[in-house]
Amino acid sequence: MQTKPVAIIGAGLAGLTTARFLKQRQIPFVLYEAGSQVAGMAKSFRDDEGFSYDFGAHFITNRLASALGVGASCRLVRPYGETVALDGRHYGYPFGLLAVPRYVMSAVAAHLDSSTSLAQSAADSMYQLYGKVMAEEIAIPLIEAWSGEDANTLSSAVVEKLPSGVLKTMMLKVAARVMGRAIAIGYSREAPESTSVWHVYPGSGLGSMLEAVAAPVRDEIKLNSPAEAIYVENERAVGVRSAGVDQEVAAVVSTAPCNVLPKLVRGTNKLEHLRGFRYRAMIFVNLRLRGRNLLRDTVVWTPEPQFPFFRLTEAPVSMPWLAPSDKTIITADVGCQVGDESWKSSDEALVEKCISALDPLIPRVRQQVIGARVLRTPIAYPVFHLDYEARRQAFKESSGVAGLYSIGRNGEFEHILMEDVYWRTLKKCRQLVRYITEGVPSRVLDARLSA
Amino acid sequence: MATLKSNFDNVSLPSDKRPLELEPSSCCICGVLQEDAPCAVGEDFEYRCSPDTFLAKQCYGCGLVYLDPRPTLQELDRLYGPEYHAFQCSRESFGTIYKIRKRLEAKRLSALYRNLPANARILDIGCGDGFHLKILREFGPPGWILEGVDASQQAVDSAARAGLTVHHSQVETMRLPDASYDLILLIATLEHISDPRDLFNKIFLLLRPGGRVLVITDNTETGDFALFKGRYWGGYHFPRHWNLFNRRSLEALAHQAGLGIVSLKTQMSPVNWVYSIHNMLQDMEAPQWLVDRFTLHAPVSLAFFTVLNFFESLVGKGALLRAVLERPATQSGEV
Repeated sequence: MQTKPVAIIGAGLAGLTTARFLKQRQIPFVLYEAGSQVAGMAKSFRDDEGFSYDFGAHFITNRLASALGVGASCRLVRPYGETVALDGRHYGYPFGLLAVPRYVMSAVAAHLDSSTSLAQSAADSMYQLYGKVMAEEIAIPLIEAWSGEDANTLSSAVVEKLPSGVLKTMMLKVAARVMGRAIAIGYSREAPESTSVWHVYPGSGLGSMLEAVAAPVRDEIKLNSPAEAIYVENERAVGVRSAGVDQEVAAVVSTAPCNVLPKLVRGTNKLEHLRGFRYRAMIFVNLRLRGRNLLRDTVVWTPEPQFPFFRLTEAPVSMPWLAPSDKTIITADVGCQVGDESWKSSDEALVEKCISALDPLIPRVRQQVIGARVLRTPIAYPVFHLDYEARRQAFKESSGVAGLYSIGRNGEFEHILMEDVYWRTLKKCRQLVRYITEGVPSRVLDARLSA
Repeated sequence: MATLKSNFDNVSLPSDKRPLELEPSSCCICGVLQEDAPCAVGEDFEYRCSPDTFLAKQCYGCGLVYLDPRPTLQELDRLYGPEYHAFQCSRESFGTIYKIRKRLEAKRLSALYRNLPANARILDIGCGDGFHLKILREFGPPGWILEGVDASQQAVDSAARAGLTVHHSQVETMRLPDASYDLILLIATLEHISDPRDLFNKIFLLLRPGGRVLVITDNTETGDFALFKGRYWGGYHFPRHWNLFNRRSLEALAHQAGLGIVSLKTQMSPVNWVYSIHNMLQDMEAPQWLVDRFTLHAPVSLAFFTVLNFFESLVGKGALLRAVLERPATQSGEV
């Protein structure tokens, strides 16, 4: 059995899940976290006025909470809906759109058209799936605002179909209404959707939940310790450097954005191609307002070009504890590139732009605004550009360097949510253990690992 | 701009009960690197012993369903509180149902003990208040030596009051003489045990060569499991049933321990049907009078689902697995 530790880079959900997996199996590891606390992208803050801000995801599924053993401190998220705002009207998503004859006609025509070939780009795929009218008016503008790219240059992989199909999805929506629980629809692909899987909010935000997840591995976490190098010899990961200190390792598990890996690795150029992988930056404009239920639904999609944002979310409608009872928060998602005009705009200018655009959706919105907080993140979503689609597919299978595992939402370069991050990380953990115990007979291994 | 702080102490949690201490687990048959898939999220619908939510997983390798994470052994007192039904299955609280059950069990056991010697030594692991030991005492010859093991002091006291010899011990730590028992009963116990593989190895050692063990445990290859497996299935008995078997996984477990399979069948029981519906109604906040129609005290629903499961058992879908396993009479190196 190896005695060198496994190096884990990053103490978010993926890194901590790996740490716990190894701890349970008594495999030595060191977890390097660049920041001064755990939680990765999942930090939460509450201000003095009683408003909460979740930097990453708001909620997780009850299935993930149960897997992590934190179900007892979770609260039920109320069922919520999504609408699409078009021409001053709101349509329920996705089924409300089916009540609009021209969308339906166009979608039916697309599905009857036998001449369509295999979709290469997101635009092709959307024409085929939704029909010309819905694709051009809704789907393509949204995907372009979200990604910052022409839909003809994006991989069809960005078009996410309903994981359970139309019938089961409708059944889940009905069940959510009947049960009064926010059944998770479209959130997990690794484990099946079900009427017993719904969204919950960990008592004090995801950040504090991850503190609890980190507790059993606290001793192995090195805070304020960014990874400075990953050493590769003979195409195998053999060491890391952090805080100027080299450490020999059995394997490396990185949760860093995958396009950072080429800058970290020494001793191979196999990862150079990852430099080209791009993430979409986002600005989240959080408006604090008087009142509640100001939006038509918890999530409102705004595909029309006059809006500087493509999505609005009034989270306190389904999670009332995020704001004082007579107040609310509306978050406007503004897609951008690091350094572009939006990114460089002042907070005040961004807030002003959003309030002006909100006026047709929320009458007299300006009078109700109490304050605002603007958050910027350079890596919100992976961009599946066709330029590197083949390399992205290859990267899904393997990092290209033995003993180097790139995991988590940013590490995998996948648009996956919390629960899928968890299940996929466990799969990679099993691969990792098989790798570091290569040659150990399974009987010996099993006795050792479950000791 | 208000200052930001990560202080959530003022947020009240949904329950004032302390969560249970939980620990990770894995498939006891296929090992820690075996792939699995989540199959249920549930709560303690019956006793509300804790505010936790629980995850059941199913092993891709053998089909075993197991709780992961699960309570630590230190939490057993909380899981099996004074009101727990296995300690209260008395004539007083169950009346007619008790009598019917006793008759049925006596008949079922008789086939098994017919060939035992007059001085047979019999051990009931997880004997509760001694229900099965009492049946053996009543229907068996006077020369039989009857013993039980149970982790609950309450159960041990109750059995002792009835004049039975019961060792107070967790199954995981019990110390009993090797190669001493002609028959071991493992009835509605295997599903509660943290390490069934270890227990089967122990049972192998406790049995005399040629001795047999009767295993009765919940079956996951049933109609009620298929229908309710996402959350409400009675057999989960969250968070008390840690390992749930089908034929394949039980066979694999016996095989690993060197125990031969004399018979492996299913047997009818209404309990998992009744509690699946109970749990669903409870979770939907149905009126209490309706929830109470689906418990061990509800003769109508018990009768109805007994009939239903009787027909299911004819096609091998009985709610319980019933296995008779045997330590082979001669081992290599033995005479």
